[in-house]
Amino acid sequence: MAENSDTGTILNIEGLNVSYPVYETDPVRALRGIDLKVREGEIIGLVGESGSGKTTLARSIMQLISRPGRVDSGRIEYDGRDLAALNEEELRALRGNDIAMVIPNPRTELNPLVTVGMQIANVARYHLSLPRKEAKKMALAMLEAVQIPDPTRRFGAYPHELSGGMAQRVVMAIALICSPRFIISDDATSGLDVTVQTQVLELLQDLVHQQGASMLFITRDIGITAHYCHQVAIIYAGEIVELAPTQNFFDNPQHPYSVMLLSAFSHNPKLRGLWTKVADALPESAAQSGCYFAARCVRASDKCRSEHPDMRGTGSGHGVRCHHPVER
Amino acid sequence: MSEVLSVQNLVQHFPIAGSRSVVQAVNNVSFTVARGETLSLVGESGSGKTTVGRCILGLIDPTGGDISFHGEKIGKRHNVRSRTLRGRIQLVFQEPAESLDPRIRIGVTIGEPLRSLGEKREDRDKRVREIAERVGLSEDALYQYPAELSAGQQQRVGIARAIITDPELIVLDEPTSALDPTARAEIIDLLIRLQKELNTAYLFISHDLSTVRYLSHRVAVMYLGMIVEQGSAQDIFSRPRHPYSIGLLSSVLLPNPNLERRSEVSLQGEIPSPIDLPEGCYLASRCPFVEAECNARMPDADDIGGGHLVHCFKHRNVIDEEKATLDYFERFQEEAEKLLVSGH
Repeated sequence: MAENSDTGTILNIEGLNVSYPVYETDPVRALRGIDLKVREGEIIGLVGESGSGKTTLARSIMQLISRPGRVDSGRIEYDGRDLAALNEEELRALRGNDIAMVIPNPRTELNPLVTVGMQIANVARYHLSLPRKEAKKMALAMLEAVQIPDPTRRFGAYPHELSGGMAQRVVMAIALICSPRFIISDDATSGLDVTVQTQVLELLQDLVHQQGASMLFITRDIGITAHYCHQVAIIYAGEIVELAPTQNFFDNPQHPYSVMLLSAFSHNPKLRGLWTKVADALPESAAQSGCYFAARCVRASDKCRSEHPDMRGTGSGHGVRCHHPVER
Repeated sequence: MSEVLSVQNLVQHFPIAGSRSVVQAVNNVSFTVARGETLSLVGESGSGKTTVGRCILGLIDPTGGDISFHGEKIGKRHNVRSRTLRGRIQLVFQEPAESLDPRIRIGVTIGEPLRSLGEKREDRDKRVREIAERVGLSEDALYQYPAELSAGQQQRVGIARAIITDPELIVLDEPTSALDPTARAEIIDLLIRLQKELNTAYLFISHDLSTVRYLSHRVAVMYLGMIVEQGSAQDIFSRPRHPYSIGLLSSVLLPNPNLERRSEVSLQGEIPSPIDLPEGCYLASRCPFVEAECNARMPDADDIGGGHLVHCFKHRNVIDEEKATLDYFERFQEEAEKLLVSGH
């Protein structure tokens, strides 16, 4: 488990707002005032439903928000450097080298016409300026490190010749070959079977720890975060609504949305009944100024419909953005 | 006899073009499903779950074995498509969006099966309204297009389309895996309620074990085209005996950091290719308990009571009773109840 000691902050996101314009109407605000700190050696799990802004956050960190999407305000600092101030060349040096991303759907992301060994080696050649032979050697070592059986033979395999689990390992090898200090995993294990998922997660955790790296682990599966992350952040409608050390979070979830997610997982109709509500139709103004979750919240009051809640600390690093947090 | 479906020694092999070898997708699978019962087929991708479903639906001709529906043999394609069987076995797909025609209004999609059964338009429209109400779709939704609905609503359409012909058996192929947790829970509730009201038999194909635990009466665990263990949901989840079932169940990550069962049986590697299957037990290459006997021949079913069948030589002496009897899913439920009721 993470200690709350004074380990350095590697990534610091402050007040990040990202929006996508929509023709003839208001832009979609994909991220609204995201504040997130990742300390060195820490794995943070970011949990949210589809459309909550998880992937937009990953892409913002990589400075890959493509037009017409735009960063409206906010700051992303990596190791003390403001990422928005870097030019394309500096960013290219940073991406892959320092910050790496493990992407989902390895089969669509890998180049089908290049052997997986060369795809890994090319990363080393470009980022570490290694000569061809050295890069190949390193790629082979990497294939071994991600526990691909018979790495010498697999080096020459094309992506379609690999199973899903193996292709995912190749993507991990590509992400990890430059020993990045910060890894973003965007739903990287969702396409895998459970027994393979456990193996891949364990491997990812070991490699992160060995290299002393930090990781932002984005997922839809709150179950994974309970076992592999130091901290859990819950994102709803582009906003972090609860953030806490893992044990604290699962012992004492405080935001009604977090509790609703957990109750959905329990498959217990009584529990779900307690925490789930069919969304009210809120007037447009209330949806803008109040809590974004108010329409679906069983605890919503008039205050929630008019006043947007701030993130409040409730002790031992537990933060919640709610006027009426759950108390036990 | 309340048996709706009986599958005996089902075999499905697919030839490989330009080669003499075959993909042995399904090997000797036998099970039954009774009225009002849910049998879940669980297993990893490539284990043959979906192929079994497709054989039952008559979408492919099985290589061998028998499939009986109410005691009468079906199993050849033309039989399932015959007039007497039409509409009595239905299907719900995995991807709700992709299984609906984007250019056809929801109401028309739901009524489509009745149209192919030759029902009159007025009767059809009335029935569509009834069914829509039953699955929780508003009347307005009937005039909308699939893209206007959320994924959960789309799956309700898929279910409405399946139950409109009053089927006796519905094959549900991963109906919830594309959904967010809240929508998933709603769809599962709907399926359970409909089953109680209509007494339909479900064949539920899934790799989502916590969902399976919640809605199944019986569970069959598939591995490489074979059912390695089957029994009541209670037995499979609280007393799994086959090393593969144990490995599979312990890989499930429940949202509670205090419930870990990862270490007991860990399966190494991945599911082997179904082209050159070994002579002995298919799990031998990944099993921590493997012995010479396992590589020599395939274990037969061992009945350990209550219809709990296990295909394993070693399960009686290697599986630690103590460790294997804890139902983590049940403990998770208990703890979740304690935690989540408090504070409401």
